[in-house]
Amino acid sequence: MSAAKARPAAPLKTVDAATRTRRLVIRGVLLALYLGLMVLMIFTGRRHTILIDNKDTTDGSYEAINGMEVSIDRQEPSEYWPGDRDKAIVQGQRHTIKVSVFDDGTEVAKSFTVPLWTDIVIISVPKMLKGIEPWVEPFTMAQQIEEAQSQPALEGMSYQSDGPAAPAAGEPGAPQPPSP
Amino acid sequence: MSAQTIPQNKFLKFLTQNAVVIIFVIITAVAIPPSGLSLPYILQEVITRLGRNSFLVLALLLPIYAGMGLNFGMTLGAMAGQIGLIFAVNFGIANWQGLLFALLVGLPISVLLGYICGLVMNKAKGREMVTGYILAFFINGIYQFFVLYMLGSVIPIRNPAIVLSRGYGIRNTLNLESVRQSLDNILMLRVGGFAIPVVTFLIIALLCVFIVWFKKTKLGQDMRAVGQDMGVAEASGIPVEKTRIVAILISTVLACAGQIIFLQNMGNLATYNAHDQTGFFAVAAILVGGASVTRASIANVFIGVVLLHAMFIVSPLAGQKLFGSAMIGEYFRQFIGYGVIALSLVLYAYRTRKAAAEARLSLRGGTASANEASNGGNGGAK
Repeated sequence: MSAAKARPAAPLKTVDAATRTRRLVIRGVLLALYLGLMVLMIFTGRRHTILIDNKDTTDGSYEAINGMEVSIDRQEPSEYWPGDRDKAIVQGQRHTIKVSVFDDGTEVAKSFTVPLWTDIVIISVPKMLKGIEPWVEPFTMAQQIEEAQSQPALEGMSYQSDGPAAPAAGEPGAPQPPSP
Repeated sequence: MSAQTIPQNKFLKFLTQNAVVIIFVIITAVAIPPSGLSLPYILQEVITRLGRNSFLVLALLLPIYAGMGLNFGMTLGAMAGQIGLIFAVNFGIANWQGLLFALLVGLPISVLLGYICGLVMNKAKGREMVTGYILAFFINGIYQFFVLYMLGSVIPIRNPAIVLSRGYGIRNTLNLESVRQSLDNILMLRVGGFAIPVVTFLIIALLCVFIVWFKKTKLGQDMRAVGQDMGVAEASGIPVEKTRIVAILISTVLACAGQIIFLQNMGNLATYNAHDQTGFFAVAAILVGGASVTRASIANVFIGVVLLHAMFIVSPLAGQKLFGSAMIGEYFRQFIGYGVIALSLVLYAYRTRKAAAEARLSLRGGTASANEASNGGNGGAK
């Protein structure tokens, strides 16, 4: 008989109900902390793209700002002229936008929150300065495609052949066949 | 025995014990001049690669202490880390938060895989290395299935940029731009033209402290006892199988974290084969540092990473200069990696045989040299 088999079996460890409950509670708390840390990382670490827009509206309720400097949080400020749109990439949900208008030297700083699962939001600075809500809106690729398609065609632009139609053969002005 | 033979024997013993290190130092030193690379450049690259690889190589230590050899099964942990990173990119979590999130996702997966690996290795005692190697192939199949089919079909993926055009499965290469060098750049110290990623080195130092502390704990002592003799350890009441599982489990978890550190430094992830060479290069590095299948230390890790990667830095350019093709250098890199592992295993087998022969002879009251003389150095008496 081997030495291991000869050894008497170790007595079974009995755990009372209180200890079992305490263990369960501790394990539950640890699991909750673990999951909480994951959620915290999602809230504080998620990246969002912010489009900063300086364009007129079609209904004329607001107009683009004639020159301004915009910065998000502590990022480098950028200059915007009418019709400009640029982007800033931010992390987390709560941010501050600072606008400095060139014409009258107005300086505005406002805070906003980006919804957690929204990847891109668009901030219309003219809307914000006019106090029209909402000036922060979610932005999707479908919206961008739609926006590009709804752009009015440039005046005088034709999708058909350029210039007047060529006169048919035999009509006055029709090209003459080359002489032999 | 003359007085001259003793130092001669000592010198030979030193040579055989450090053969791999000596060969590597010579190869690297010879390859530096033809590579044309400046010493500051090589030094900066070595610093970067120390930060990138040391954690992964340190993950190999505990299984060696537990007598389980070189843990080729660390690839399992690397896969878990990659799954964590895929989810971090999927949710758009950037910077160190992304890395911590990846670790939190990868941790339970690596614990599960480490436990499975430990169970399998307990069924294959004495053949842990080859078992780990083959197990890594098997789990790789499951990983491929998970990443190629499950992600995007069963598990929803919200970031279309990482999904294959067919609608499910992850792309071949992931851009880790959102977490790229986010750990290194938390505090980048610039000294004398060298950039030192302080936080990464601090984490590596903490792991070293943990390993030193762990060796002194009851569990650490048990591991060493199991590594020396499983039968004696079992007889003295140490739960051998449980201790071995814990060693592999910790190694797999560390490999998970190590792969995340490695990939954040690289900045991109080859989804389907980034983990393939993880175990191989980590094992090559620790062997180059002078470790063996049964004996390794923290110093071996750092010496190995410096030597192996110094060779990796200079060999492509040296190959290009000497043979007119950078591919020769790349080939050389692979050749040296596998060669080192083979050489180390051969030397280990040789030393084990020699030690056994010496032990047998000492029981008969003779000396090793006398035994060699009588046997003609053919492996000792039967």
